[in-house]
Amino acid sequence: MKYALFLGCKIPSRLPAYETSLRAVLGHLGVTLVDLDFNCCGYPARNYSRDAFVVAAAHNLALAERAGLDLLTPCTCCFGTLRHAIRFLDEDVELRARVSQALAAEGLAWSGKTEVEHLLPVLARTVGIDTLAAAVRAPRTGLRAAAQYGCHALRPSDVTGIDNPAAPTMFETLISVTGATPVDWHMRLDCCGDPLHEANAPLSEHMTRAKIADALESGAEVICTACPHCHLRFDAVQAGSTDPAIRTLLYTQLLGLAMGLPAKSLGL
Amino acid sequence: MSSTLFQTLLYASLTLCGLGLLWRVSAWFRVRIGPDAQEVTPSQRVATLIRGAASALFGRQLFRFLGAFFLDVLFLRRLYANEKLRWLGHLLIVVGFTVLVLMHALAPVVTAKLFPGYQPTLAPYLFLRDFLGAMVIVGVAMVHYGRWRRRNGFSTTRGPANAAFMVLLTIVLASGFLLEACKIASPRAFYRMTEEYIGSTDPEQLKPLRALWASEFGVAFGDLREPIDPMLVEQGRELHRNACAPCHAQPASAFVSYPVAQALAPVMGFLDRSGADAWLLYLHLFACFIGLASLPFTGFFHVLAAPVGLLLNAAPQNLVLSASNRASQRALALDACVRCGICDVRCSVAPLSRYLGNPGLLPSHKLIATGALANGQLLRTGHEYDALRAADGAFLCTDCGRCTSACPVGLDLEDLWDAERGDLAAAGLARPAQWVQARPAFTWAESLEIDSAKRVISDADVSRVPLSADRSVFSRCVQCQTCTNVCPVVAHSIDSGHGVDLTPQKVMNLLRLGLRDLTLGSRMVWDCASCYQCQESCPEGIRVADIMLELRGLAVQRLGSVRSWRQPS
Repeated sequence: MKYALFLGCKIPSRLPAYETSLRAVLGHLGVTLVDLDFNCCGYPARNYSRDAFVVAAAHNLALAERAGLDLLTPCTCCFGTLRHAIRFLDEDVELRARVSQALAAEGLAWSGKTEVEHLLPVLARTVGIDTLAAAVRAPRTGLRAAAQYGCHALRPSDVTGIDNPAAPTMFETLISVTGATPVDWHMRLDCCGDPLHEANAPLSEHMTRAKIADALESGAEVICTACPHCHLRFDAVQAGSTDPAIRTLLYTQLLGLAMGLPAKSLGL
Repeated sequence: MSSTLFQTLLYASLTLCGLGLLWRVSAWFRVRIGPDAQEVTPSQRVATLIRGAASALFGRQLFRFLGAFFLDVLFLRRLYANEKLRWLGHLLIVVGFTVLVLMHALAPVVTAKLFPGYQPTLAPYLFLRDFLGAMVIVGVAMVHYGRWRRRNGFSTTRGPANAAFMVLLTIVLASGFLLEACKIASPRAFYRMTEEYIGSTDPEQLKPLRALWASEFGVAFGDLREPIDPMLVEQGRELHRNACAPCHAQPASAFVSYPVAQALAPVMGFLDRSGADAWLLYLHLFACFIGLASLPFTGFFHVLAAPVGLLLNAAPQNLVLSASNRASQRALALDACVRCGICDVRCSVAPLSRYLGNPGLLPSHKLIATGALANGQLLRTGHEYDALRAADGAFLCTDCGRCTSACPVGLDLEDLWDAERGDLAAAGLARPAQWVQARPAFTWAESLEIDSAKRVISDADVSRVPLSADRSVFSRCVQCQTCTNVCPVVAHSIDSGHGVDLTPQKVMNLLRLGLRDLTLGSRMVWDCASCYQCQESCPEGIRVADIMLELRGLAVQRLGSVRSWRQPS
């Protein structure tokens, strides 16, 4: 198992613990990660122009293809954006021609070979639940965790879907394998509020707080995340707030703890 | 050059340099970048910095600053970590130039005091001067090659200040080597010396000495016939030992100037007649004086600003975090940036910048725009295009922080971009989500109506917005409201009192009615969380969220064409 690791922009600068814990966990599970000189996935440019966002995404796809690798990303928004770019390139011949021209100017090309994978299905399917179960040395028995899927991992299912978009179980299964208990919370598939933070901050905050309240009500002790945007969003809204708070825990940290890896190697 | 003129020029340049430095350094406390910087006065900024520096320097922090001075300022470890070649080049320039200034320019007060027998024409100074000059030239070449090798489509804006610095440096070095070469090869200089030390300029009487100096010291006597008699050379040696040797070593060790002198030999007669050594000396000195006087205003100023920036980085975080110090640090960043362009190469949106043809996305260009915004230049009439492109650059930045981590001068660029975005918004150049939503959707549509020419969408535009331009994509909508019912934005907007104007279903309906322009400025389109609940749930399989995102891109383009260029938000 070998992937080009696509960290995106947020993780290195704002959530380095995700990278640390990801490398520690995947290293122990025998997944080789290769670092390429990737650029922005294109997500911020989606508001700006479809061509621009697809070019940025295709630049990364081409870099991975040149290295002969599939691309693995722990960022759900990058995942969605890259998958969307592939869809647009597949369905729009003219767009593909324009993008190919832009790539050619940089000495790059993309023929469509690169697969874009999200961390969760790579762990659940490629590495496999059995392998994970065998790697668990210190089960987190009793920890009640709320799985935060992240919109762009699930929807639209014909582009990004890692699981059944209406009733997914993958994240809960991944939590269970660590010995922790996944809680049932009815807002688990909802948006964390991050994408409209800049357009409408009060509304965005309202959405985030509603999710936090729902997770607490369901008896969860932590919200378990697999996307830096969701994770940082929960932390940002709770910082300096007097409302009841809930801890956020990256899935790679939860798994790493269950595997008995030292907390420090997980950025904790 | 008479010593009075020399001294007058020297003191004049020193005065200008001092005044210029005061002016430039004062800008670190005057220039206001970022909304929080508007709150603090220059005197508060000076006071905060002095207090902070005092408490840091007289406490245990001193060792941190010393460490930063040796590692960051002298060794340039940040550049070493990022670009080894340019680090080496820079080191050659710094060492070569500094030692040249001390040993050569300041010879009477430094070298002559340290080494009482100092004469510029003795070994090892002949060699050292050339060696140091060559170090600078090789260093400059390495730095420029490094820059060229990592070019990324847009040249880093170096600006006239940095170009002026390079031109002056080139003139100083070239005139220095040429001057030395002329002095070596010049018969006139030879006779001037013999007149002073031997009391004769008679070619016949000086024949043996001439032979020696022509064959071993490179003087290009135009009237000397080859081959030179070795006996004659030996005869000259005794006179040389007494009269010349105390001050003159063989110049062959000047490994640059000596070959140049040999190359100049055929034209030496002409050069002597035209007084070349005199005007080369003037050129050399004038270039040095102009360099000194203009130091605060050329790229050379980074020699002061960059180390101050690096030392500030060593300050404890609680000192840096005060709004007052942040403001000063941002103003300093404008001067400390050396336009090396390493940030531009690392920039996460560099491919976007190339595709959009907008260098304004790149950090080195953003830094200049930030400065132009702070001094008001960017907002003047005639700069609308630049300002809008700068705003695009500022808001397409993903805050990935790579520029900050790569910056060899250790500038906190993320903080600078944050401040720049604040200033842009305050100047009416906010991000699209803000400037679009500053007006109700229907007034935007009216503006498009009035300016009917701009309503026309070209074929090229249609190919870029295929979903919202293609009826077959949304005409199947049966207005069942499923999208609206699953939309978290609609649900939360009712609860939170920050309501959207339309619902997803109404947006689809406006498209069906051919009233697309009415959707462009709508809160629903801009507040869409892109969670794709609508698209996933639509019984007709309409790509609702994809359409919303596409409409935003169209809005930026269409509403941008009818917006007043600075839109209050």
